[in-house]
Amino acid sequence: MNPSLKLTLLILIALEVSFIQVWSVNVALIVVSLLLMLFNHVSWRRLLWLTLVPLFFASALVWSLMLRGDASTHFLIVIFTRMFVYVYMGGWFTLTTKPLWLTRSLEQNAKLPSKFAYGFLAAFNLMPKIQAEVATVRAAALMRGEVLHVWSPRLYFKVILAAMNWSDQLAAAMTSHGFVEGAPRTHALTVPLLARDWWIFGISLLLVQVGLFVGLP
Amino acid sequence: MATVTIQSLTYTYPKQSRPVLDHLSGTFPTGKFSLLTGVSGGGKSTLLKLIAGLLPNPDDTTVTFDGQPLNAITPTDRAKTVVMLFQEPSTQFTMDTVENELRFALENQQVPAGEIADRSDAALAFIGITDLKFRKLMQLSGGEQQKVALAIIVAMNSDVILLDEPFASIDPPTRLVLLEKLVALCNERGKTIVLADHDLSGYQQWVDHLAVLADGHLTLLSVDETRARFAAFTPQRLQLTHVQLPSDQLTVCLQGTALGLAHSNRQLIAPQSLSFYAHKTTLITGPNGSGKSTLFRALVRLGHYQGHIAYRDTDIKKIRKRRYARQVGLMFQAAAAQFLNVTVAEELALSQKYGNSTYFTPERVHALLDQLNLAGRDEQVLYSLSSGQQKKIQLLCMLIMAPEVLLLDEPLKGLDYASIQAVMAILKTVQHDLDLTLILISHQLSGLDALVDLHLQLEDHQLTYQEVRA
Repeated sequence: MNPSLKLTLLILIALEVSFIQVWSVNVALIVVSLLLMLFNHVSWRRLLWLTLVPLFFASALVWSLMLRGDASTHFLIVIFTRMFVYVYMGGWFTLTTKPLWLTRSLEQNAKLPSKFAYGFLAAFNLMPKIQAEVATVRAAALMRGEVLHVWSPRLYFKVILAAMNWSDQLAAAMTSHGFVEGAPRTHALTVPLLARDWWIFGISLLLVQVGLFVGLP
Repeated sequence: MATVTIQSLTYTYPKQSRPVLDHLSGTFPTGKFSLLTGVSGGGKSTLLKLIAGLLPNPDDTTVTFDGQPLNAITPTDRAKTVVMLFQEPSTQFTMDTVENELRFALENQQVPAGEIADRSDAALAFIGITDLKFRKLMQLSGGEQQKVALAIIVAMNSDVILLDEPFASIDPPTRLVLLEKLVALCNERGKTIVLADHDLSGYQQWVDHLAVLADGHLTLLSVDETRARFAAFTPQRLQLTHVQLPSDQLTVCLQGTALGLAHSNRQLIAPQSLSFYAHKTTLITGPNGSGKSTLFRALVRLGHYQGHIAYRDTDIKKIRKRRYARQVGLMFQAAAAQFLNVTVAEELALSQKYGNSTYFTPERVHALLDQLNLAGRDEQVLYSLSSGQQKKIQLLCMLIMAPEVLLLDEPLKGLDYASIQAVMAILKTVQHDLDLTLILISHQLSGLDALVDLHLQLEDHQLTYQEVRA
């Protein structure tokens, strides 16, 4: 499916699910997302993580709501399943969409300014560098007798400083490879936006509406 | 083809009073390979960035290409006129793979989609790196990244190619390949090439002209003058008069067993046994990109290595990180990587808090600051200091920590002569007084003789101790 349309569909459904409390639709969305992930060969390890982490938080949330407050069982089930809807749908999207393909699609199909599209991509490519920088800063601090924890402001001060430096370098790198803000570009690869994509988009959205309408108490 | 002409170019860094380039004029002739030389910090990078339009030009007509001012060239056409290859290989890419970066550059130039693949392949073939096409950029070595960067420039087919110390972290074989390709670009395709390097060694047979940047002024030497300048130039030589092979009486402090280092599939150091000796100063030399800094990072547990490293007979992976970091310290090559605070005073205070404060009394630190010509800068922001000043503060901070083993990665980089003398004197005194173990990497070779006891050379993936050569 076209990545931009996929993203739009995801955001729309997530918004609707946030406001309307129908747990059967939530369960249906969880099942569909899970099936899509299995169909796309997402590894069992990943799936396990995607299940355990929200399970912990959702359980904690439901438990605390049960202890205090007078939430109905219906509401508790909705809250519990909603957490999984977000995580599974997010998992399905991120694990089955290549960042570069999404960038190209946002630029070509969604007509997002190329500056944003490539800025997003560059930030994504910066992740391993940030991890290396954090390791270096922590080692430098240890050598000076300071232990920097994940929550130490000093760690972030240094990393943000480095990131500012990288953003300058990145801007220079992009300029040097001929990138000009707002200038027309050609596209080596065209991201197709087929009639099929629109059909999937429309029918999925419609099904969710029907489900929500029928399921409302 | 394009001749680059600069007329009366003056450039002053923000917040500084003296211009780094002062009414500079000069010409880089078309189809020639010019080597831009001058001391570190003399403004070479600034000049290249101004020519490339990466820094805003102060006046409309100071830099022209075949008479056409840079500012008059539409931004989209600039990359066809002039491009730049950076010193730090990994910082010049936006995309993930070689193929995608090539596509990105050619898309920016609005090359029709159908031609992009062919032009990319031709450029990769010209540099001889077709096999790297689908590789991830961040997994390539520095040398491979520079080759890719040059391939992109070839694909973009720009008239003027600027290179800012492109070989700073590149191994000698790769450097040769790149130089051959640059000369081919000059001769076969009529490109104008300007390469900046502060060191003249290894350029004589390749370049057409020398352009000397000194005191903000540029002088282009003629072919004969260039030849004379090269003939008079003798590469800086390492003169060590009293290094010895390690004897049995020395205590081993760091011991590598079957220690090997690799960087993304490329073996830097073949597995070998390696000892570092306590209370001595060891100098490690070797070509750029051969793995010296990687070795240091491995020794402080910041990088992967093969085999084992033991500190005082204990595997360093079994020592608590926190404890080990206080025993073996690293002075990073980039000064900013060391700093954790904002001002000079705060940074020194941090070192004094945890370091050897009995030896480094406030009076002594004050005297050392004086000796390094850094007195009265307490409240200054570290990042606003010049690179030389940063380097000196960095050294002082690490010396105050006084770890048993101190690794120094290019401690003299970018320092002027007086500072080098001061730093050497301080290192010598402190090493003697506190009986420290110093291990250093340095490309700056003069003045090291008085300090160095042992000399370890890295060549052909092997580290071996050297004695005085006749």
